[in-house]
Amino acid sequence: MIGPWIAAFLTLAIFSYLYKDNPFYKVAEHLFVGISTGYWTSMFFWTQIQPNLFGRLWPASEYSSDSLWYKFYNLLGVFSSVFPGGGIDKGHHMELLYLLPFALGIMMLLSVSSKLSWMARWGIAYTVGMAAGLRAYGFLNSNVLGQIKGSAFQIFNSDLPFFALASESIFNNFIILIGTITGLMYFYFSREHTGNFGKLSKLGIYFLMISFGASFGFAVMGRISLLIGRFVDLITYSGSAHNHATLWLLLAMILLLGYSAFTDKNNTSKDEPTIEK
Amino acid sequence: MDKISDYILKAGTIDRRWIFLIIGLAVLLPLFFPLGLPIRATNATQKVYDAVEALEENSKVLVSFEYGPSTKPEIHPMAIGLLRHLFTNGHKVFVTCLWPDGQFMADEALDEVAKEEFDLTYGEDYVILGFRPGNEAVVKGMVSNIRKLYTTDARGTLVDNIPLMKNINKVADFDFIFSASAGYPGTVEWVQYASDPTGVPLSTGTTSIMVNDIMPMVNSGQVKGILAGMPGAAEYEALIGTPGIGTSGMDAQSIAHLVIVLFIIFGNITYFIETQRSKKY
Repeated sequence: MIGPWIAAFLTLAIFSYLYKDNPFYKVAEHLFVGISTGYWTSMFFWTQIQPNLFGRLWPASEYSSDSLWYKFYNLLGVFSSVFPGGGIDKGHHMELLYLLPFALGIMMLLSVSSKLSWMARWGIAYTVGMAAGLRAYGFLNSNVLGQIKGSAFQIFNSDLPFFALASESIFNNFIILIGTITGLMYFYFSREHTGNFGKLSKLGIYFLMISFGASFGFAVMGRISLLIGRFVDLITYSGSAHNHATLWLLLAMILLLGYSAFTDKNNTSKDEPTIEK
Repeated sequence: MDKISDYILKAGTIDRRWIFLIIGLAVLLPLFFPLGLPIRATNATQKVYDAVEALEENSKVLVSFEYGPSTKPEIHPMAIGLLRHLFTNGHKVFVTCLWPDGQFMADEALDEVAKEEFDLTYGEDYVILGFRPGNEAVVKGMVSNIRKLYTTDARGTLVDNIPLMKNINKVADFDFIFSASAGYPGTVEWVQYASDPTGVPLSTGTTSIMVNDIMPMVNSGQVKGILAGMPGAAEYEALIGTPGIGTSGMDAQSIAHLVIVLFIIFGNITYFIETQRSKKY
């Protein structure tokens, strides 16, 4: 019942920034930052650290109360929601190799200590190295080789019409060929962009500008879609099923912001310095 | 002529809050008074529809939810449209989430479509494996061994106890992948680490702002079509014959675009007049 009121208030509070910066906007902004942080932290902990890290270090399938490893685990049992009795049952077997990422994770957290912050570098170095290696393969395979393969097509394909506005055609194949070559020429910096080379690279700029224009158009389209989404919700919350939440909140905000603007104006006119003649 | 120019220049200096108000009204009014403008599917949307239609009955489809409330108006309608299409054609749906919020979006979409509209059984017709952090590492892990990454589903049930997960061990066991994506990690990562290396066909639905990044992959055949933002969702709804949230927002979208185009033209006219005057004086 209170959910739609909160949603309507927060939406209107964010929209109020379009008028000017104000306390409603600040409240919504701070709530967003705080809740997002808390939400992400808890989500990461309960979907990854607890089941996939602790679940592999102390799995229920290999629990033994005599084992020194599980005796230590039982000491952690004071946090019973994280370390339940009898081990963590998430379908894993024991993999002590996971102590390594556990240690690196703790070392990353040590960046808060001025004396031990150097240890964080090891964890960061591992993450950066792993991500770079992982991405290099995917990028080379899909973005470089895949795109080269995709642009190596038969221009004079007899099955295609000479001209088509949106679908494949010989004319469009030419556009792709010229756009690809001149676009690449623009990014070739080992030769001065003068003469015929300069003209072709300038043509490349035009292709890039058309691409940026299309990106801008899509960006506008996306933002309008989001606005439609919020308006649809606000309209829903303005119904009698939600006690006209949107309308009441909008009215209250307009009155308060109007009053604030009125008092600000009065204070400003009083504080204005007088010019002595 | 000078008077008209003066008037245009004066109008160009109005408080920007009036422009916000006009854009707001341009979006709001068509929501109250729909115009019913026609919706025609583009080639990119048609390719997605054709790719789903080409699947044999009972195909295993992996749908990845990579969006949250902030991009819900764009992606959610297409996710719902796609699920309707998949369940109508009798396919099995496996849901993963590369974004934590994606799990809520998946729950909401499947509650609406699988549970309420089609009355399907969880674990037999569809399953939500849920969110795992790790971005592209999650996709890479699923390509090699899903069961190592997902020992339980989003509800905490052991994957080994879910009937639908029988014989599902890696991405190559699926017949089709759909990425409902609002950014990183998303469509690009699925192409790079799952679809290209394994050859499992992939289609996507993305936010409008991502379309230019993904379109080269659609043209090269790496991605089988793309649903581009809310218009893509509306076109897909038109193709499957079930108008939904996407369709209802298209009038507002079209009118708002028209108003923005008029503002851009007006802004260019004032710029032209200003430069002409500065040359003159």
